[in-house]
Amino acid sequence: MNNIVDPVRLEVIRNALLAGAEEMNISIWRTARSTVVRETLDYSTAIFDGRGRAIAQSTRIPVHLNSMSTCLEDIVEHHIPLDQWNDGDVIMTNDPYCGGQHLPDFVIFKPVFHHEERIAISAAIVHHIDVSGGAAGSYFAGAKEVFHEGLRIPPIKLTEAGKDNQPVLDIVRQNSREPVKIAGDLQAQLAALTVGARAVERLVKRYDNATLSQAMEQILAQSEQAMRDTISAIPDGTYTFKDFVDDDGQQAQDLEVVATVTISGDRCTADLSESADQAPGPVNCTLNMARSGVYCALLSIAEGRAMANSGAYRPIDVISREGSIVNCSHPAPVANRMATGHRVVTTVLGALSQAIPEQVPAAYYGVSYVTALAAPDRHVKDERRVYFEIEVGGWGAYPQGDGADGFSAGFHNLANSPIEMCESIFPVVFTEYGFIADSGGDGQYRGGLGLAREWQLDEEWGLLSGNFDRFRHPPYGLHGGEDGSLGRFLLIRDNQTTALPSKVSGVELQRGDKVRLETSGGGGWGDPTDRDKAARENDQRGGYVST
Amino acid sequence: MNRHNAHVRVAVDIGGTFTDLHLHDGRSNKTFVWKTPSTPADPSVGLLEGLHSISELAGIALSDIGMILHGSTIATNAVLERKLPTGALITTKGFHDVLEIGRHMRRDVYTLNAESRPLLIPRHLRFGVTERVKSDGSILQPLDEAEISRIASQLREHKVQTVAVVFLHGYRNPTHEQRVQALLNDLLPDITVATSFDSSPEIREFERTSTTVLNALLQPVISSYLQRVDKRLQQAGIHARLYLVQSNGGLATPADAARLPARLLLSGPAGGATAMSILAQRHNEANLVGLDVGGTSSDISVLTDGSIGETQESSIDGLPVRLPMVEIRTIGAGGGSIARVETGSLRVGPQSSGAVPGPVCYDRGGDQITVTDANALLGLINPDTFRTGGITLNVHASGNVLEETLGTPLSLTNSAAANGVLEVANSHMADAIRLSLFEKGADPADFALAPFGGAAGLHACAIATELGMRRIIFPAHASTLSALGILQANIRHDLSVAALVPAHTDSLPALQRAIKQLLTECKDKLTDNELYHEDCAIEFSGDMRYRGQAFELTTPWPEVSAEGEINEQSILALIEHFHTIHEQRFAFTARHDPIEVVTVRAQAIGKIGGTVTTETFHNTAGKPGGSAENRQVLAASGENTTIPCISRSDFLHRAQPVRGPLIIEEEYTVLLIANGWTVTPLPGSDILCTCNNDA
Repeated sequence: MNNIVDPVRLEVIRNALLAGAEEMNISIWRTARSTVVRETLDYSTAIFDGRGRAIAQSTRIPVHLNSMSTCLEDIVEHHIPLDQWNDGDVIMTNDPYCGGQHLPDFVIFKPVFHHEERIAISAAIVHHIDVSGGAAGSYFAGAKEVFHEGLRIPPIKLTEAGKDNQPVLDIVRQNSREPVKIAGDLQAQLAALTVGARAVERLVKRYDNATLSQAMEQILAQSEQAMRDTISAIPDGTYTFKDFVDDDGQQAQDLEVVATVTISGDRCTADLSESADQAPGPVNCTLNMARSGVYCALLSIAEGRAMANSGAYRPIDVISREGSIVNCSHPAPVANRMATGHRVVTTVLGALSQAIPEQVPAAYYGVSYVTALAAPDRHVKDERRVYFEIEVGGWGAYPQGDGADGFSAGFHNLANSPIEMCESIFPVVFTEYGFIADSGGDGQYRGGLGLAREWQLDEEWGLLSGNFDRFRHPPYGLHGGEDGSLGRFLLIRDNQTTALPSKVSGVELQRGDKVRLETSGGGGWGDPTDRDKAARENDQRGGYVST
Repeated sequence: MNRHNAHVRVAVDIGGTFTDLHLHDGRSNKTFVWKTPSTPADPSVGLLEGLHSISELAGIALSDIGMILHGSTIATNAVLERKLPTGALITTKGFHDVLEIGRHMRRDVYTLNAESRPLLIPRHLRFGVTERVKSDGSILQPLDEAEISRIASQLREHKVQTVAVVFLHGYRNPTHEQRVQALLNDLLPDITVATSFDSSPEIREFERTSTTVLNALLQPVISSYLQRVDKRLQQAGIHARLYLVQSNGGLATPADAARLPARLLLSGPAGGATAMSILAQRHNEANLVGLDVGGTSSDISVLTDGSIGETQESSIDGLPVRLPMVEIRTIGAGGGSIARVETGSLRVGPQSSGAVPGPVCYDRGGDQITVTDANALLGLINPDTFRTGGITLNVHASGNVLEETLGTPLSLTNSAAANGVLEVANSHMADAIRLSLFEKGADPADFALAPFGGAAGLHACAIATELGMRRIIFPAHASTLSALGILQANIRHDLSVAALVPAHTDSLPALQRAIKQLLTECKDKLTDNELYHEDCAIEFSGDMRYRGQAFELTTPWPEVSAEGEINEQSILALIEHFHTIHEQRFAFTARHDPIEVVTVRAQAIGKIGGTVTTETFHNTAGKPGGSAENRQVLAASGENTTIPCISRSDFLHRAQPVRGPLIIEEEYTVLLIANGWTVTPLPGSDILCTCNNDA
């Protein structure tokens, strides 16, 4: 057993690891090519210990960050054992059935060696703009199996002993509607791994292998303790809550997500096995995704006290049923897995709201609003441009105040794409971007407002896809607060408005067509009659609520 | 010599607590230093007091002062304290919420309620008007002028004092913005108007709107302040030319500052950064890291190959400011940072005890241990240093609180805990410096550290050690260094033209047009400043990226001739510079990928800053502080060790290298020279500190 690292050195090492993950974050942000990475910031970075346990994350996206460790476990157990991870290797996959999430998300890992011992692994997950499949952005609403969704890469060595596996890079380029962008983004992603590795090397040169790995053990133990303390503060008991995914885009059928959360002392068990069977359409979650949703909910309850890493996951058990929507089996399609993933978060939080009503907010919008458009390139004949963006809605009101209007919440954390940047690159002209009055659930505290985003096609043709949810089941209010609004996706042609389904692809657009997305507001909290008069007046003066 | 080159120049740096002044008399070639309490209610009062005192010290009449160079945090504080006039925003119809939505990502990842987002203009004062410009600058929909008169009456009704006008793609075609400005000037002559084209002509609507709104809201604040200053100067019989320090470290005339006050927002640290370049020149250091440790935060600036790092975007209080400025990384670690125990770890900051209640040892009701308490407990702070500020240190109280809140929970002795607090605080600062250098692809070992501000001298050796830096330069007048920087600043105009063309010889005509346009604007600006050709320099650069990237690298373009001529060779040279910088910063290049020039920039510099030679530096305010006797200092082991202590003036006077451990005291700051380091006096009263195992 190694000597215990004193609390001062421990804090110094912890800070340095967090700073390392942050350096990786900056590196991708500054060098990426596609708007989904460089503007929307759909990527995450982390540093793992030599045994593959997550230690330090950058301040990015919960769904990514809390699934990377289970992804790594999957790879090591079933595909490439850790003893085959050598100096100079980079291991990569995008396969949801080998630990990945959905095909556009490439997860890559780089082991870091010192004195011939593997002391850490730097890791980055990036959402790539397009990996082929039935629709632009590889979000094909009509997919019936994962084979319809694009290029699938099992765990492989993308780099071996410092040498790039060029044929794989060529295959990736060849299988994308945006070959230059995917290659550029992958280059940025690979460079970030080197940045993370350097950060670890600096630390280990200053201390030594034993001190660093002991410090990592203690960082994990600290997070575990903080999570145990968080759970202990929740009254023991079993709490059940259910929420719905509208449908899978192929059958008009509610998909139930059920969480039965049991708090027993300092442990928490989330049983999701009553959730619906896996769906024919691409709203299915792998078990990794569902676990990540449970972890995210509990980490939110801890509100930053538990550093997010593998230690924090230890007191949490997730039970699920294979073949269900939260633990789907091969070859179920998964592209729009976030429809269900967000619902795992809101269901677990809903259950906990019964135990700690004075802490848990009403539901946030709970959708990653993905719009994708394929259109011809303005300059180069026969080339495609893929316009891809992710929008957000309103936060649920919380027991002490109103929910935030139009702000990233919960399971994801994304920036919008600047309109001026979009219009400079893609053939679109925006006509509106703003809050939707009355979209937040009323209550003692009001839910945050949803957003309207509307644009017009400025090109001969386009192929549109949308992957949404909460068009039929609104974000729930709590304790007498009203539900938030429903979302809508509208096509406006010659002044005729057509409501599109929440999951759709292959919609043929003509020049001048307008496309309008309306996202959900959050649920309200508490009885609306208890709302402060000044708050109501303020809502009306600003037009957040119509008069 | 031109008329700007007055004999007597005074640099003033007005901070929250002190107003620092440096006066240079060109006739005697002497420089005088003064420090006086600031007067936050009306900073011009403290300014005049300072001018009186320093003139008396220098033995000159007030009317001898030819030039006043003014740095201040007035704009910054107005924003932080929300002491701003009622403002409105006029923007493209359908987009009045852009300011409030922002980029909508959060910084607190795991939380149940959202962090608060600052908002400077409420929704009922944001107006959308019918108009539309496309991304290529063409007009899709003409401006509906009738709507402007309707909005004007609402502005009157709400007693709006200032208006920001931001239209989509206004950076490319300002016609509509300028028309609205003209209409409002007619309809409401008493209110000020700022357009986005004037304020920050750059793509990305939210960042540009935020900058324009700040500009609009600050216009009345800065105008009225400048009027007060003008009046007070006249009353005192001072007819000096006045210049204001901008965030880029350059100077602006009062007229330019009043029109573009957002350019003053981060001018506070800019003076210090300018002083870094003077320090670097003086001692032939190519690479320096400036570390300014204050009470609640620390500012880091980086000088590489003799030039200060600049950035095109920063933020204040979470509000983006898209303007050229000295690149400063600010972190929440300073003397007032609070230490606490969290899940068995010793954490320090970012929470701060602030000036009130302050550290426990100030005895003003502070009940949480701070970095200053740790320094005091270890015997590193001379109580006399604080007596000047009316504070008696109660180290005993610090000891009790430290034992209760840190020592006992962590099973550490008080000395180990206090040393631990310092070690963690130092690691925060070292991590931040590493991150700043990382962004430039630079290695700390190639840099010297330049600590200044009140508290940096105690932490410098430890931070340098952690970073593997081998040289530290402790500048003279560490507590008034910004004023020294300001004294040697030049007039500077930053101009830019949106280009968005391929970096290719085919773009020669477009780039040539952009450069000619900038050259004409630069010359006009400098002529307005009554500067002559020989006192001016115009430098060009291009913001470039690989096609598809979001971030541009500002790439210097020295190949542009003085007449603004370029040819195919100069474009190829620019491309080569870009590859080099990209490789340095991001460890890769993509030589086969197309490159774009997004923006062409010009810096017009009007040289008015005479060189202040260091040998004639006449230090008068820096009375030697400290009793210069040996000091008992607690080591982490709990043992008392004796460290020799000397006043800075005595040390400089002896003119010999001394090995650490050593404490050097001066009036407002203390330097701790650790074991393993040696200090040597340098010309100009600076002190060089080197790592022994280097020799």
